[in-house]
Amino acid sequence: MKNLARRIFFALVTFVALAVVSFIGVDALPGDGCTALLGRFGSAEKVAECRRANELDKPVLARMGDWSLALIKGDLGYSIKRDLPVADVIVPRLRNTAVMAVVAALIAFPASILVGLRLGRFPQSRLGRVTNQFSVIAMTLPEFVIATVLWLVLSIWIPIFPGVNVVPSNATILELLPNVWLPALTLAAVIFAHSMRTMRASVMNVKGMPFVESARLRGTKEKITVRRHIVPAAMPPVLNVIAIDGSWLLTGTFVTEAVFNYQGLGRLAIDAISDRDTALILPIILFGLAVYLIASLLADALVKIFDPRQRNAE
Amino acid sequence: MLGNPLASLRSQRIKPLVLFTIVFHVFVALLAPLLPLASTDAQDSGSLLQGPSLEHWLGTDSLGRDVFSRLLHGGRPSLLIAVIATLISALTGIVIGSLSALAGGWLDDALSRLIDFMLALPTLILLLLISSFFGQDPVILSLALGLMYLAPIARVARSTTQTLLARDFVRVARLQGAGNLAILGGEVLPNVWRVVFTEVTMQFTWILLAFSSLSFLGLGASPPTPEWGLMIAESRSYMTLNPILVIAPILMLASLVLAIQALVDHE
Repeated sequence: MKNLARRIFFALVTFVALAVVSFIGVDALPGDGCTALLGRFGSAEKVAECRRANELDKPVLARMGDWSLALIKGDLGYSIKRDLPVADVIVPRLRNTAVMAVVAALIAFPASILVGLRLGRFPQSRLGRVTNQFSVIAMTLPEFVIATVLWLVLSIWIPIFPGVNVVPSNATILELLPNVWLPALTLAAVIFAHSMRTMRASVMNVKGMPFVESARLRGTKEKITVRRHIVPAAMPPVLNVIAIDGSWLLTGTFVTEAVFNYQGLGRLAIDAISDRDTALILPIILFGLAVYLIASLLADALVKIFDPRQRNAE
Repeated sequence: MLGNPLASLRSQRIKPLVLFTIVFHVFVALLAPLLPLASTDAQDSGSLLQGPSLEHWLGTDSLGRDVFSRLLHGGRPSLLIAVIATLISALTGIVIGSLSALAGGWLDDALSRLIDFMLALPTLILLLLISSFFGQDPVILSLALGLMYLAPIARVARSTTQTLLARDFVRVARLQGAGNLAILGGEVLPNVWRVVFTEVTMQFTWILLAFSSLSFLGLGASPPTPEWGLMIAESRSYMTLNPILVIAPILMLASLVLAIQALVDHE
């Protein structure tokens, strides 16, 4: 428990330090909300007036103080460029990314555990070797290549799914669902490969251990040996990968969303960067950091809960 | 574990296909400007989106440019940037990692903490920011990529150095009166390099793919430069009319990256 408290404390310190660095970094970029709003045609007086009106003329540290106080109260700030509170812009996009992430996770994780178990038990089977080769390819190729290939095959050659996404960002989930498949399949291919290979390696490692051997020698049925002994012992590293990949599903989807014009957080980040809308960029970066740090904490905690040796070690 | 990387590569019986693919890509990247190819920018407005022909071996793109010539030139920008960025990240990563392990104490703690911070940074969004706000300058981009990908190399270099420092030949050097710097140069670095080689090769492919992804998003190589990621992005709208336009650069990029991975994959 003491160890857990220390880990949480370190994660908080990391978050605050990176938040400060991000604020100063984003602030140092040429341009702010006012130049973004007024564009290159804004005269110097207009920009100065806009900066006074939005309190952008204060020193960096004062603005960082105001910004973090507001953040603690739950106020994410205001996008001058879009003339909307940041939360109103981000929340619908976050929901869209979450829908896509859930679909991808439901496709990939159960399948990866089942296939990984099978391949770990019979690694030399021909199907096993072929699946393994394919997952190496899926892990190596960048998402824009996987996405384009899936689009070409599943939307143009065999028209099953719609390709480019024309649904507005505030569509209902039912309107969103037909368009979620191709981006979700792209993400699923990447994380399936990752967790399947971890499960396969873990099962191969566990199945030769003495406690599995002893279960077999006691005459336990193969089915029960697998369910009661191999799977529980093989799960901790896989849960670790699932936690980290789950955080990636929420924060690493820029390219996939850009390919399919899916109106999620990643697409918004790219738009905000090209609009120079710095008020949006910072919360998106911090959201990514927070999700990553929470997922790493969760990954460690899961391993501790499911691995009795780790539980007793502390 | 500490063998010579080239010797261990030789002993692994590299598949001829892998070797051929890598040699092919190196030759094409180096020799593309010398080969008798059509110009990469010449627009033939009479033949847009044409299929393969004797004049244009892989057809033409939406501006009537020769796809075959653009394809052979298309690996050069990413390879050049990836080589420079990998050199930067390998050199700084190995030096930071080994120094950190060698120095120990508070400096080691501080550097390890810094590496942890860097691993938590969202790489792609930072690259997008840098490229968008400072222009698509190859020098800035290779520097940024190099610094961003040094953390994994530094981490491997640090743990390798720690195991090396406990070995007999380092102790012997110390007993012979060698200082920290002499040990770093004479004993640690030559051996660390052999282990870190695999990690560096992996980072090389990640950097290459990061730059390609950036180009695909319109923030890496700028048009009309022929670059595979950019070519895929430019041709996506014409996929139904002429799928070769996307399939060809995908095959080039995939074969290069998968061959490099196969070269270092020890499984």
